[in-house]
Amino acid sequence: MAVSEEVKKTIESRGLKVADIEKLVAEAKASKNMITNGSKFIAKKQMGDMVVYADFNEDGSINSAYGHKMKILDIVMDTSDTEWTYVKTGAKIRKGHTNLSYLGATRSAPSLVDPASGESWLEEYLAAKTIAVAEMLFSQKRA
Amino acid sequence: MSDKLSETSALCPVCLKTIKAVKVAEDDKVFIVKECGDHGQWKVQIWSGVEHYNYLYEFAAVQKPPLKYAVPECNDCPQDCGLCNMHKQHTCLNVVEVTNICNLNCPICFATANGCGYRYHPSMDDIKKMFRTVVDHVKSPRVVQISGGEPTIRDDLPEIIRTAKDMGIEHIEVNTNALRISHDTEYLKALADAGTDSFYFQFDGIDDNIYMQTRGRPMFDVKKKAIENCGAAGVGVTLVVTVSPKINLDHVGKIIEFAAMNVPTVKGVHFQPITYFGRYPAEPTDSDRVTLPDLAKEIEKQTMGMLKADNFLPTSCSNVHCDMKSLSVVLPDGSLFPLTTMALGPPTRTDDIADKTRTEVSKLWRFIEDTMDGPADPQDRSWRSFVSRAKTHYLTVSAMAFQDVWTGEVERWERCCIHMVTPDGKLIPFCLFNCTAVNGDTMYRRRSFCPHSEPL
Repeated sequence: MAVSEEVKKTIESRGLKVADIEKLVAEAKASKNMITNGSKFIAKKQMGDMVVYADFNEDGSINSAYGHKMKILDIVMDTSDTEWTYVKTGAKIRKGHTNLSYLGATRSAPSLVDPASGESWLEEYLAAKTIAVAEMLFSQKRA
Repeated sequence: MSDKLSETSALCPVCLKTIKAVKVAEDDKVFIVKECGDHGQWKVQIWSGVEHYNYLYEFAAVQKPPLKYAVPECNDCPQDCGLCNMHKQHTCLNVVEVTNICNLNCPICFATANGCGYRYHPSMDDIKKMFRTVVDHVKSPRVVQISGGEPTIRDDLPEIIRTAKDMGIEHIEVNTNALRISHDTEYLKALADAGTDSFYFQFDGIDDNIYMQTRGRPMFDVKKKAIENCGAAGVGVTLVVTVSPKINLDHVGKIIEFAAMNVPTVKGVHFQPITYFGRYPAEPTDSDRVTLPDLAKEIEKQTMGMLKADNFLPTSCSNVHCDMKSLSVVLPDGSLFPLTTMALGPPTRTDDIADKTRTEVSKLWRFIEDTMDGPADPQDRSWRSFVSRAKTHYLTVSAMAFQDVWTGEVERWERCCIHMVTPDGKLIPFCLFNCTAVNGDTMYRRRSFCPHSEPL
């Protein structure tokens, strides 16, 4: 699979391994457990204590990868349709909010949701910023 | 039945000579036991919970020695301090006293302000020399606490602060009883404009009965007004509480509640279990003291479990038995959401922990700044509003167990990172500097300041 040097750097700076992401993409393509907006795909997988996401293209080339330690809980609400589709079922993905828990605290965050299956996906901007900061707040005293 | 934990050295409370001491465990408490051939034996409780006491050693940082030693060769810690070559930890906080005069006359005073028989009120040149000592001995970022006496009796305090900043001291906090800044807003503005980063407020409770005992006059309205003024001047405040089991230990929960109601001006509450140096009425017994674990349990009880004993961790910079700290986000309803917990375990890396913590925290706030825009809805239960609120509405609740001539020991002094700066170019651990014998003699205070003072 094609992974540019720049993408590789981003992936590694987030504590993830390129080989793991490649495996995630291969598994998602086989199981169709992924969402698409017609031009690219997002798939996720629980790896150890992290939920890891791959953002990739039809040919398997990887655009980015990210993750969060928060555990995905229930969908709090869904508000409107999006351009995304759940490849596995063909269902329309909706814009929503999902509860995420971390070290005993549960709060919501915007997400892409499939109400029928109860699945949620976080987009990169959120996982790499707000959610990352919240996780850092909890762990900063560990040094 | 007592078990010996370790051996250390300590001071005789009568003659201030170095004597052998042992730490023993008994009835799930830790005691320091020491004997002077000339003056007798002492046994003083220093901790509650033997397992906890031992476990905390796992939080100990790999220490980083000072840049320079004012006393290059010494083999009798703590008799020739300066720091000496035996000292294991660099300086994190430098305390510079700019006067020993005070506008209060408290029954208990570590500095024995107004009653020591000499007037210590250094000139600007002498103060510059002390700042020079800091710049030469401590690496950046340098933090200075201006203390006293009461520093705000000096009209030239803004100039002192400006001078410190010009000389390369990055962070200045002013230790004050808040009396002057409660009514003199022009002076407060001058302090803020000069670069005061925060105030370290003596604050014993939210009840004037407490102040009558600790300060000899009502002070609560003064404190409230001063906090309001600091808010208007844009300078943060840490409430510093001397905790006495007989006066205000039963008020610690209310003090935390008051602090939470006054964020973001109030940034923290720092509890200091009462220590017997300087001016104190009589030789203390264990019932006159409170240990850090007992204080943490009281906080848990009085905050109804909102802040638990397990939320407190040692900062790991000085000795692990010297302090404990928690960090919480204050939610819109005034409740605390603790971010720290012992459940996270000891730090994974303990080398240069202070630098790392400082860098991480500043990076974190910058990151929040970059990622958040617009105010969060206070009713919002999202992670975004939580992170946004954490940026401004946080509260540290911490405590430091200072050591006096009864509780002090070399194991802790040689790892201390809070140092007094002396006019003759030395840095001396704060507790050691103030250790006071039963007859009023001090280890270092009098001999450091008297040659630079005028007799009264």
